[in-house]
Amino acid sequence: MDVEILAFECETETDVVCTPPFVNELFETNDVFEIFGVGVNRAMLLMFVAAAIVILILWLAFRKQNIVPTKFGAAVESIVTFIKDDVALGIIGPDGLKYFPYLLSIFLFILVGNLFELTPGVNFPITSRMAIPAFLALATWVIFVFEGFRVQGLGYLGHIVWPKDVPVAIRPLVGVIEFVSIFLVRPFSLAVRLFANLVAGHVMLTLLLVTGYVYVAGFSNATFNGVFGIAWWTLALAIFLFEVVVSAIQAYIFTLLSAVYIQTSVHAEH
Amino acid sequence: MTLFELAILAVEEEPEGIDLVLPEIKELWAGIIAFGIVFAFIRFLAWPRMIKPALERRQEAIVGQLREAENVKSEAESLLADYQAQVAGAKDEANQIIDEARTTADSMKSEIVARAESEAASVLDKARTDVAAERERAAAALRGDVANLSLDMAEKVVTGSIDREAQAALVERYLEELGGLNE
Repeated sequence: MDVEILAFECETETDVVCTPPFVNELFETNDVFEIFGVGVNRAMLLMFVAAAIVILILWLAFRKQNIVPTKFGAAVESIVTFIKDDVALGIIGPDGLKYFPYLLSIFLFILVGNLFELTPGVNFPITSRMAIPAFLALATWVIFVFEGFRVQGLGYLGHIVWPKDVPVAIRPLVGVIEFVSIFLVRPFSLAVRLFANLVAGHVMLTLLLVTGYVYVAGFSNATFNGVFGIAWWTLALAIFLFEVVVSAIQAYIFTLLSAVYIQTSVHAEH
Repeated sequence: MTLFELAILAVEEEPEGIDLVLPEIKELWAGIIAFGIVFAFIRFLAWPRMIKPALERRQEAIVGQLREAENVKSEAESLLADYQAQVAGAKDEANQIIDEARTTADSMKSEIVARAESEAASVLDKARTDVAAERERAAAALRGDVANLSLDMAEKVVTGSIDREAQAALVERYLEELGGLNE
């Protein structure tokens, strides 16, 4: 019996427990349709769905300029004011309002993209594809480097490679470390942190759910198939709830670090 | 087929873990466009025309309501102070009225008692006068009666001593008459 489990075919008659050929199979999806000769796969389609959801959420929340917002509007507004007051203004300072649209965009886009992992029928976080974390990390990198040079001029680079707050003897070493840290490690770590968390969560959930399914559906030779299956699904439910928190926290961390990096660039004392 | 081409084919056929980490170009473009749409929407439409006015309007409304609440509070405090002053004034006025009433009542009481005492004294005097007059009149009447009686007695005495013979005649006539009767 051939059963399609997620993205791979499982021949249950020969394989006791079906395993995907490679972990990439969990993340690489087939093209859904073509546009201008370019195949659009599920991940790409979900990126636009995520964009549409973010726009829809904001539009629904703020389309009516009521003094007293609806419950949904109040919930969205609490997120928006949190990013504005606590992240943009709280971390960057009074100039932070200029970066607020960018910070709100990355937070909401990443949050919705992360929550796709837990959305029934979707179950695929777009942030587990390196394209999204890499692009957003690169965008943050471009912004904080550009703003650093715009505000401080060449002094921005000077402060980094020749930090005056450390003893002269170790300045070159610290300068090299700072240069590598700021210009190379920061964007890489920013991207990989988000990517790795979502990949790990997706793999973990998939393994738990598929294992539970294999037991419950009777593909295993174990004596108490149902009990094992329910146990795996119970564990999956716990991890599912944990992933809700991870999705929100990762979106927050990415946004927070972006704000911190921008703040260190636009304020010379840092 | 060269060894290099074989290696390339092997790489193409066998998925590597690094493939997962490297972004796919078309997904990168899709991500850029999708995020660009979100950012453009928020930067040029949502933030300046929807979110900012809504937040500012709400902030203004809240500040206005707070200010109004402050005004109402101060007005209420003023009214309370007025009310308390009025209550205090009313209490003073009531105390004053009570004092005046008490004074008036005391005065009236004294006046009434004095008048009653005066009337009582007057009644007593009149009664005494009447009693004295009655006594006088009774005494006078008694004196008249005694006088008359004395006169009568005197007259009787006088009359008896003068008409002893007539009285003897009467006795005799009476005896005669008694004799005539016995016959």
